[in-house]
Amino acid sequence: MNVTQIIKIARREFLARVRSRAFILMTIMVPAFMAAYMFVLPLLFSTTGTETLRVAVLDTGTDLADALADRLAEIDRPRIDVTERTLVPDDSDETRAPYSDAVRRETIDGYLVLVEDPVIVARARYYARETGNPPMLRALERAVESTILDRLLVDTGVDVAQVRALLRSDLGTTTISAEGEEEGGFEAAFFSTFALAMLLYMAVIINGQGMALAIVEEKSSRLIEVILGAVTATEFMTGKILGVLGSGLTQLAVWVGVALFGLVFVLPTLSVGAEIAGVDLASILSIELLVYFSILFTLGYFFYSILFATVAATCTSTEELSQALFAAMLPLIVALFATFYVLANPSTLATRVLSLLPPFTPLVMLARINVLPPPLWEVWLGIMLLVLGILVTGWLSAKIFRYALLMHGKRPTLPELLGVMRAS
Amino acid sequence: MSTPAVALRCQALVKRFADTIAVDHLDLTVPTGTIFGLLGPNGSGKTSAIRTMLGIYVPDAGSVEVLGSSDPMAVRHRIGYLPEERGLYAKMKVIDQLAFLASIRGLDQKEATRRAGAWLERVGLADSAQSPTGELSKGMQQKVQFASAVIHDPDLVVLDEPFTGLDPVNTRLLKELILEQRKRGATVLLSTHLMEQVEALCESICLIDHGRAVLSGVLADIKASYGRNTIDLEYRGTAGALASVPGVRRCEDTGQEARLELEPDADAQAVIRSLLDRVEIQAVRLDHPHIEEIYLEKVGHRETAPDTTHAATA
Repeated sequence: MNVTQIIKIARREFLARVRSRAFILMTIMVPAFMAAYMFVLPLLFSTTGTETLRVAVLDTGTDLADALADRLAEIDRPRIDVTERTLVPDDSDETRAPYSDAVRRETIDGYLVLVEDPVIVARARYYARETGNPPMLRALERAVESTILDRLLVDTGVDVAQVRALLRSDLGTTTISAEGEEEGGFEAAFFSTFALAMLLYMAVIINGQGMALAIVEEKSSRLIEVILGAVTATEFMTGKILGVLGSGLTQLAVWVGVALFGLVFVLPTLSVGAEIAGVDLASILSIELLVYFSILFTLGYFFYSILFATVAATCTSTEELSQALFAAMLPLIVALFATFYVLANPSTLATRVLSLLPPFTPLVMLARINVLPPPLWEVWLGIMLLVLGILVTGWLSAKIFRYALLMHGKRPTLPELLGVMRAS
Repeated sequence: MSTPAVALRCQALVKRFADTIAVDHLDLTVPTGTIFGLLGPNGSGKTSAIRTMLGIYVPDAGSVEVLGSSDPMAVRHRIGYLPEERGLYAKMKVIDQLAFLASIRGLDQKEATRRAGAWLERVGLADSAQSPTGELSKGMQQKVQFASAVIHDPDLVVLDEPFTGLDPVNTRLLKELILEQRKRGATVLLSTHLMEQVEALCESICLIDHGRAVLSGVLADIKASYGRNTIDLEYRGTAGALASVPGVRRCEDTGQEARLELEPDADAQAVIRSLLDRVEIQAVRLDHPHIEEIYLEKVGHRETAPDTTHAATA
């Protein structure tokens, strides 16, 4: 292998990738979507479409309308304006018809109907144009619950304020690891694992696919004959993969740079974003995690690039490629789904085995490290096995590469490829 | 760097694919500093032979010696190769593309870029240097590809069907460029089935069919070996007057001009005498056969009769 030849191939591939429209688009789009997800979405959810919600309260005889109206008045996001409290005979369609009309005419935004219930005193139903806003519905639900509780607990001696406080409390979590205890644990781990897994997944898909497509083009245009007249198949493959690795790392650097900038400079200025997204900077960006992420990202990227390049070498047209690439992407997709399982079951035997299988190691091991740090030897065993996997795959694919690259018209069959691997 | 007398030699070269034999015990000797024509009908194994000689395919048997080395890959930077079906990176700028292809052939980046510019000038594409290659016409791309094959001043230039799809102006330019390569001292292996180009450019040829060499040697010698067995005739006379002249094997008659191919043992002078009785001769000349005629004689059965070897096995 001649290193200068590899560098020339890698340089061309890197520039071709980095200048491609897909690369530029995705490099910009991913941070844009991330920003939208982190800042804009919470802002949208935190405020409802209408600043003040006009709600009528209809009571079929529970005598809770006034109490409910008081509770509704306590809600401040969105503010609720109780337009009227009316006693109605029942909750039949005819009775509700004028109110439904009012909703349609937009003179009110919705109305609550209170119905007697033999067990829990009363139930409520909310009729409105807009019923899909979870924070708003939760606020209404709490108001109704609170109203009914007041009635249930009256004369029991139980402190209503205490019960209300209880209702609002959440189960706090703290993760215990070898290093110590960490508050917040699961949510932060889930968020960061998912984000990192997606980064690897997308970088591989975008850049790997571009490279695979380029190989098939070079093959079908016979440019490959000219290039293979000047460099060896192994030099060609190595150069391609290094070029793609470079473009992937460049993309990642841009993404991470934008993310850090966002987290450090933009997020604090948007208090609402920080509060809603529940992002704890320290828990996401521990140095240890970043080191492991860099190692696993680079190795995983390498592994899948080799896989993609080999698959592309056996294809003769872009149509064939899209089918064949799916097979190469399958382990990555499985690994992505496996991370969800791993997040919930970080220490089962299945998780441990998955994290040591090279195609799954990058994502699964990362998830494990993030959620429940495995013993150090397991992490490094996984990394060593992944390196071994890369070497074996690279060695096999170099053999396939030379043979398959110059085949035109038909794809080599699996027995043919196995023959090539055994030979030489 | 010593210059062997033979730029390319292969002996009993064999290349098989699953169920066909593409190159069948081919012997070939290309003398240094000549333009050598590799001829043959479509599917005769020209491209497979070239790929095997250049080390793109691994031969199944036989030996290859390129520029004094038995391993073509060892001397790959001294070879320039233009494959039959061609492609370039469509999105890459023309000049970058040429510079890249030059650099992987061993030129440093600066020199590669300098030569790329000079070559674009030479083939009349200086204005397109900064355009994406995909925007060039087919003929323009072909010139870029030719430039990429010779930009590193290789000692051996291998051109597989370089004239396909070129207009007359570019065909002439390409002919000039090929002759320039020889003048520079390079050896050119030219694969083609355009007989005029062979006649105009090549000193030696090898005609292959079914992967075997059916005729090879110095073009002038080959023609001489056939003798002056053809009569070129300009005449006035009635249609059909030249039909079935004794001693004539084949007659190409356009009405005013005719080309008569004689029987092997025919007396040319006697034939001309008998022609005088039939038509009014304006001009007459005894000629060697054209390479096209030799070609058709050697492999003509392929163009006229369907391939029977496959039918028999099917």
